[in-house]
Amino acid sequence: MTRANSRIVGVGRYLPEHVVTNQDLTRVMDTTDEWIQQRTGIRERRYIAEDTGAADLGVVAAREALDRAGLRADQMDLVLFATLSPDYDFPASACVLSRLFGLKRTPAFDVKNQCSGFLYGLAIADKFIKTGRARHVLLVGGEIHSTGIDLTTRGRDVAVIFGDGAAAAVLTAEPDAKRGVLSTHLHSEGRYAEKLWLEAAASRSRPRLSQEMLEGAKPRIFPHMEGKYVFKHALTRFPEVILEALSANGFSVKDLDLLIPHQANLRISQMVAMGLELREEQMFNNIDRYGNTTACSIPLALYEAIEQGRVEAGALICLAAFGAGFTWAAALMRW
Amino acid sequence: MGHCLPERRVDNQELAEKLGVAAAEIEKRSGVRSRFFAADGQGPSDLARAAAGIALSEAGIGATDIDFLIFATMTPDVTFPGSGCYLQEKLGCRTIGALDLRAQCAGFLFALEVADQFLRAGAYRRVLIAAGDVHSSGLDFSPRGAAATPLFGDGAVVAVLDAEGDGLVGSVIHTDASRFEDFWCELPSSRRRPTRFLPQDLALGKHYPSLDAAAVWREGVQHMRAAVEEVLTKSAVRPDDVRQFFFQHVYRDAALAVAEDLGVGARATVGGLDEGHIASASLPLALCRARQNGDVGAGDLVCLATAGSGANWGAALVRL
Repeated sequence: MTRANSRIVGVGRYLPEHVVTNQDLTRVMDTTDEWIQQRTGIRERRYIAEDTGAADLGVVAAREALDRAGLRADQMDLVLFATLSPDYDFPASACVLSRLFGLKRTPAFDVKNQCSGFLYGLAIADKFIKTGRARHVLLVGGEIHSTGIDLTTRGRDVAVIFGDGAAAAVLTAEPDAKRGVLSTHLHSEGRYAEKLWLEAAASRSRPRLSQEMLEGAKPRIFPHMEGKYVFKHALTRFPEVILEALSANGFSVKDLDLLIPHQANLRISQMVAMGLELREEQMFNNIDRYGNTTACSIPLALYEAIEQGRVEAGALICLAAFGAGFTWAAALMRW
Repeated sequence: MGHCLPERRVDNQELAEKLGVAAAEIEKRSGVRSRFFAADGQGPSDLARAAAGIALSEAGIGATDIDFLIFATMTPDVTFPGSGCYLQEKLGCRTIGALDLRAQCAGFLFALEVADQFLRAGAYRRVLIAAGDVHSSGLDFSPRGAAATPLFGDGAVVAVLDAEGDGLVGSVIHTDASRFEDFWCELPSSRRRPTRFLPQDLALGKHYPSLDAAAVWREGVQHMRAAVEEVLTKSAVRPDDVRQFFFQHVYRDAALAVAEDLGVGARATVGGLDEGHIASASLPLALCRARQNGDVGAGDLVCLATAGSGANWGAALVRL
């Protein structure tokens, strides 16, 4: 049944203009630029400056991706939106984005897989194209974290990490079996679900939102993370899934032209690179300017890698993610 | 397939006092006689776990035989991670992919399409679809909720699919969000500064579902009818070839109207009378029960159609 590979033919991005430096954060919480940089590698991130949704950022990123692909939104057969911070409780941000494009029939849904969301979406897009069910797919990763983090000293361990942004990719059918997405690999391990999570609103609690959840010493409407757990598992799962993707296609680390990891924490990326014995030019990092933008980080990094001329035709590219769930994933592509 | 409804049944009499409407009036307006409410601490993944036990046992396989899991829900256990991750752990699956898919009421049909592509592309051999929602923890039990609250119930359904055969004969899924505020829940909203949800929002009620009944009814009928016609045409199947039709809509009357419009009323199942609208789980629940009762069986061609929030809608032709 396999008829074609899928291939990314256009990428786009949109970041809010408002830059928030580590120094800016020291005005609302007890932290320092040095502490943040040392632990995360982040220097600044973007926050929305007025009410703006993930879909509002996503539509600008998607327009650029479509322009670069030479395609229109109404030529898409499927619209996917990866986010953990949807515009509304429901419907999905994919629906909100569809309206911004004026689409009337194209199926649209959200992928809620946190930091691995873009790669879960990429796997879906790839399979729809492989079976011939879709010819063109729009995949957006977009997040507004700044309205859902605890910007006080109490929340600093998590709050300093995240930033807002959106990036998009257009995938299309590629007849050359040696080009495009070669394989995708998806994983999860729910026993660590509450090592990095955001509880409320929680449908399992009656009611799912209450005064007690919103206030109190440890509000349950903000994300919480046990950093050491996440760090330790990331250092296992990142290399594991990267090697899984390479070996599934008969490649080894030395064949890899560029690894684009989810930008979770510069220290994680550096240790992964060291463990895999990657040369500096095999690894892409841009967390210093955007922080962790979860589902947006991989397409945003891919966009910048392309801009910097680090992704040439024929290059072997690995995208890899690890994050809340835990979920982790990889995709191997021949550009 | 397997399903799980929570133990606690809530009839209209119980709601009547809180909502300030007579029980008979609730049934007349909502088309629902009773529904089930989950217990405190019970999320969609807990209901799906029970449903999965039944489905896996019927399929004669274990949780470790599943290659991929899709969880369709609009009311996840917690904000993140998704209910799929919880289910992966509760079932004891391998560290397989656990996709959380959000397409509201049409979630099962969207998940079915996604599962079908992974299976047909040869990526996986066995995929588990869980469709489950716990609405009752997010409903307005004051007179303000009189119209919307009685419509909803809790439950989960699990379907196990394998790569053999061609079970999904045809499928269409669509989205038209031109009027998404007709059936939505605004808060928490990540687009709102400085914070998605504030203590004072609790009193305002924007964290409860809101429906424009007339518009949702009208669009639902149009969408379901068109989707059924489209999937039949696309698959070159005549209505007479379909053993049983299953329609689901938040307003039962809309689903009944579609069955009449299409002239298949005698072969149509419309769920919800004693379960309310469980969004993603309602449509597969009706199919699951029909299989259990022997109303439909192996080899039968069935047609499923639903429309809901988004608006997302679709129809599928399934060979059992």
